[in-house]
Amino acid sequence: MTRPSSLTLRLTLLFIAVATVVFLAFGWIIGRSIEEHFGAEDIKELKVITQAVEHSLVTLKSHDDLAHIEQRFDDLLVGHHSALLHIVDAAGQQLYASPGPDLSSMPLPNAEQLAQGTVQPWSDSQHNFRVLTRHMAEASPTGRGPYTVFTAVATDYHLHFLENFRRTLWLMVVCGIAIMGLMGWIAVRHGHRPLHHIVDQISRISANDLNSRLDPDTVPAELTELATSFNDLLQRMEEAFIRLSNFSADIAHELRTPVTNLMTQTQVALSQARNATEYEEILYSNMEEYERMAQMIGDMLFLAKADEGLNPPNASDIDLVSEVRNLLDFYEAWAEECQVSLTLEGEAHIKGDCLMLRRALSNLLANAIRHAPAGSGVNIQLGHSDHNVFIVVQNPGTPIPAAHLDRVFDRFYRVDPSRQRSSEGAGLGLAIVKSIIEAHGGKITAASDEDFTQFRINLPLLNIS
Amino acid sequence: MKLLIVEDEVKTGEYLRQGLIEAGFVVDLIHNGLDGYHQAMTERYDLLILDVMLPDVDGWRILKSLREAGKAVPVLFLTARDSIDDRVKGLELGADDYLVKPFVFAELLARVRTLLRRGAAPVSELSLRIADLELDLARHRASRGGQHIHLTAKEFALLELLVRRQGEVLPRSLIASQVWDMNFDSDTNVIDVAIRRLRGKIDDDFDLKLIQTIRGMGYMIDTLDGHS
Repeated sequence: MTRPSSLTLRLTLLFIAVATVVFLAFGWIIGRSIEEHFGAEDIKELKVITQAVEHSLVTLKSHDDLAHIEQRFDDLLVGHHSALLHIVDAAGQQLYASPGPDLSSMPLPNAEQLAQGTVQPWSDSQHNFRVLTRHMAEASPTGRGPYTVFTAVATDYHLHFLENFRRTLWLMVVCGIAIMGLMGWIAVRHGHRPLHHIVDQISRISANDLNSRLDPDTVPAELTELATSFNDLLQRMEEAFIRLSNFSADIAHELRTPVTNLMTQTQVALSQARNATEYEEILYSNMEEYERMAQMIGDMLFLAKADEGLNPPNASDIDLVSEVRNLLDFYEAWAEECQVSLTLEGEAHIKGDCLMLRRALSNLLANAIRHAPAGSGVNIQLGHSDHNVFIVVQNPGTPIPAAHLDRVFDRFYRVDPSRQRSSEGAGLGLAIVKSIIEAHGGKITAASDEDFTQFRINLPLLNIS
Repeated sequence: MKLLIVEDEVKTGEYLRQGLIEAGFVVDLIHNGLDGYHQAMTERYDLLILDVMLPDVDGWRILKSLREAGKAVPVLFLTARDSIDDRVKGLELGADDYLVKPFVFAELLARVRTLLRRGAAPVSELSLRIADLELDLARHRASRGGQHIHLTAKEFALLELLVRRQGEVLPRSLIASQVWDMNFDSDTNVIDVAIRRLRGKIDDDFDLKLIQTIRGMGYMIDTLDGHS
């Protein structure tokens, strides 16, 4: 994937594009309206001249007047700068032609246009003209009519003006675009300043001060969400970081105890000669420590993989009743030794990973049997509520103080620190239960009062696809 | 029975060899992948124990080459990494079993024996016997010295497992997985309690004790009394 181009570049290009469109449209409109204005002026002038000419022609009394007419038309043209006039009679004979360019070489429009009078551009080799050609309907008293009148005005001056104007306009457009681009760039850079400010703040956060936060009130409204979600990220990271550091510390601590035992025991054993039975005894004792450590490592690996999301559940249909019965079967003998009775109520089906859920329930059940006083019973209830399946494991026993309830699922957490490393295993059992239940999209909660300690699992029915 | 161990960790390899020799096997130990592969190709072995992580040629490639060369010898993998991908990969390549370090030696031994037995044609016995203990497999009845012993279904399954593999030390994890289908370590002494109860039924009233505790390893059934 290629990296998207910089925001500054994008916005600047956008500014330039917008400026180009706006300026060009603007320039085009101005150019057009000036051109039209000139055209209208020309046509007005042409019409005035043509009317005057026609009037003169209509009012001709006799052939005699024809002699004066040239003078009359010359006078008529005097007031109009660079106007031309050319008149022919019905026979095509020239009645009058003003000095200058010869309009007779101009192509004639068709008859209909001629009758109405039409304006068209025309140019000889040097000049440009706008020409009004009109075919007079009325017969003239002189008998030579009807006449066709060509009136022309030179448009060179206007064209020249327009050309200059367009050149200036283009220059302005180019300058305008350049200025807009530059200003856009500056504006964008300036507008990004709060962003740089945030980046500065973020880059100052190191692993040691994950507790610092961005203040969402000091950033522009558009960035509030960014700041808030970044703060959330920091929050999650801080929690994970703390958990990880605690976990590492716990691992070190948990491993130090058995390693110390092993070292001390071995050193003491080696400090003097002993008989074979004694050595054997030491090896057995060491073996037990090793096994405990191996199991701890296995459990920690399971949890580490769960943290990485590497324990994806394989979904299959599970009949929780038969699953729990198997577990009760497994624990039955042990529970009887502890004088704890096991009971199961209700029924439930669920989709989930059979091996993982079995492990979770096994840990929970072992925990309950271990903490149930002799003569009491562990009760398991299964059932459905809304779109959930619940599993409740309940045993009487010493209540867990409220402050500890949330933490019983923490790794290596023990309610009673003095009971460390006794029969309880590594203290990872409930943490494993929690990670398995969460991998299934479920929730586990603990509650404890004078009568019972209770773990409740809620699993969504459609938890994994 | 002749085994080949390919394991680059010198200490692990030596102890494995010693343990397996003491368990009655003929064992060759090779410390690198290439030599291990040649050894496996030239000599005839009943089982290979391969470490996955070897410095030169890893266990997967050795297995692949062996299978491509048409060697069907059973292979047991040892690995320090336990991921499902690894497991699937191993089984796809034709590995027969898979053991994650650290493992209990008794577990390895039990699996080695299972793999070696797998080649033999299954015998469908109707009854099993050790000393004067007799198991009627069809009717799920046990008796000792002609005297009927009442066992629960799980107790019978446990006893059957022990008797079928008499003389072999069975680690607790193996017992839990074979009898109760619990494939993870439990930090309880459930298996010990179950064995204690079974003992109460088949051994307590007899002078010859059949079920032996092998400390630090597991349990076995054998006629050699006084082992523990």
